[in-house]
Amino acid sequence: MNRALPEMLHCTDLSVLERQQARIKWQQESFHQQQRYFDENEFSGFSGPFQAQQFQGLVNRDMGINGLVKADPGLDNGWADFGQFDGEGSGLGPGGFGLGSGFEMNHGISRTISCPSAAAEVEVEVAAETKQRESALPEKMSSAVGRESFKKRKADKNQNLKAIAEEESKKKRIKECNEEGESRITEQNSNNNNIKRETSADTSKDNSKVSEVQKPDYIHVRARRGQATDSHSLAERVRREKISERMKYLQDLVPGCNKITGKAGMLDEIINYVQSLQRQVEQFLSMKLAAVNPTLNFNIDNLFAKEVFPACTSNFPMGASSEIANPAYLQFNPLQQVVSCSGLEIGISPDMAIRRTISAPIPIPETFLDSSCFDQIQSSSAWDGNLQNLYNMEFLQGRSTSFPAQQFSGSSEASNLKMEM
Amino acid sequence: MKQNSIRTRFACGFLRTLKRLPKTRATSPSTSPGEISKRCRIIKMAADASMASAVGPRRVWSRAVIRRIRLQQRQRLVRRTRRGERKKSGKGVGGGAGQTACLRKLVPGGENMELCRLLGETAHYIKCLNTQVQVMRNIVDLFST
Repeated sequence: MNRALPEMLHCTDLSVLERQQARIKWQQESFHQQQRYFDENEFSGFSGPFQAQQFQGLVNRDMGINGLVKADPGLDNGWADFGQFDGEGSGLGPGGFGLGSGFEMNHGISRTISCPSAAAEVEVEVAAETKQRESALPEKMSSAVGRESFKKRKADKNQNLKAIAEEESKKKRIKECNEEGESRITEQNSNNNNIKRETSADTSKDNSKVSEVQKPDYIHVRARRGQATDSHSLAERVRREKISERMKYLQDLVPGCNKITGKAGMLDEIINYVQSLQRQVEQFLSMKLAAVNPTLNFNIDNLFAKEVFPACTSNFPMGASSEIANPAYLQFNPLQQVVSCSGLEIGISPDMAIRRTISAPIPIPETFLDSSCFDQIQSSSAWDGNLQNLYNMEFLQGRSTSFPAQQFSGSSEASNLKMEM
Repeated sequence: MKQNSIRTRFACGFLRTLKRLPKTRATSPSTSPGEISKRCRIIKMAADASMASAVGPRRVWSRAVIRRIRLQQRQRLVRRTRRGERKKSGKGVGGGAGQTACLRKLVPGGENMELCRLLGETAHYIKCLNTQVQVMRNIVDLFST
């Protein structure tokens, strides 16, 4: 009996394989637990008796199989769906079981490739390819999500799949899965009729979609219909989509870019805008500030508090910050308020060392105030400390040696400096 | 207004540095072009530095700005007596004269990034430049009234 049935399996499995490919996804979902189970421990030992079970199941037809396979709630679901799903009656019985068990059998076959007791080499060849994909993917899948997605897919195969895939974040797929799974499946399907090709393409997409859902470490993309499926073009597509998404965001940022649709035009606009902003900061505003600044040194704080931070004055906590350097702050309360408000979330950094180093070389009380303000706003993190160092270097130099302007100019203005000095 | 937004941090830092600017002495004319351009540069550098530190180290361009300022300062300190300011040594861009190369030159730190990331950095940079311009304009308006 064991001899006869493998031959039957041979015949049936080739057609079964096509249907397998059409239903691999839900099989994987329902079987993933079993697969793990199989993969890890027992399957190599199972080969003989398991296949015997399969053969018995073949005889027993569809729904009796449930008793044979390992208990899995998802399995019932899958089987039930499978029962509904297949309208074709003819090859369904053995084919149906073959689907379920053939899937397991694939594992068995791949596991037992080295074992001489493995039944069919034909199955090995054909199934191994699918099995690679299947085994690669199932570990990533959780049955619940897969079942949901399967139901969705049942409702509307093609369109929903693509829609769902595009709703989810597209990521890049494992190279093996892409190349081996999809390309080989497409190879196999090229021998079949178009319907089968569609379904298998769908399943390949389904697989990619399912793996998209579950495995956060890898980036999965879906190969759309009629597009190349190798990993390079997928990567290219992902990159292009990222770029276009960012271009759209930039279009919102840069005013007046709504009509421009080309990438080149957009880039030109962006470049112009950035240049104009930089020019504004550099020339116009710096010039104005330079002209205006000398006369309004001490009003900065009041105006700052009033205008730029209208809401802050109400939130002034008078916490420990004020206790630290209270006498120095008396004349600069508004700024202190502002400073404390802004510094609330960062917390107060009682970093006396920094304050001392800042204030020591500068005898002016005004700068002492500044440094203590520094302490409050900017915690003792390295990054903020950088700013203090920057300012120290800049302005200490400026004070100690009257206007060695070379320090402060950009390189493009070197010639101007030399002329001035 | 958010308490700790980039805008507030920038405004705080910037105003603080403005306060610490070397005040022009009464004797020296404050309207000489040299003075003004010097102060311009100082102010611009202060603006850049405070903007970059307000943004934080998480962005490539803010790190690049800080790096550039520090490098310039170090060069000034070391080579104060030497002639010839070395031009800011940027890595050679292989992109040629295209728009991408242009954008890379504009956005600090954009020399070696791929296009996708460059666009993201550009977006953030534009946002922060806008903030900077707004705050500075407010300050100018406040002080000129």
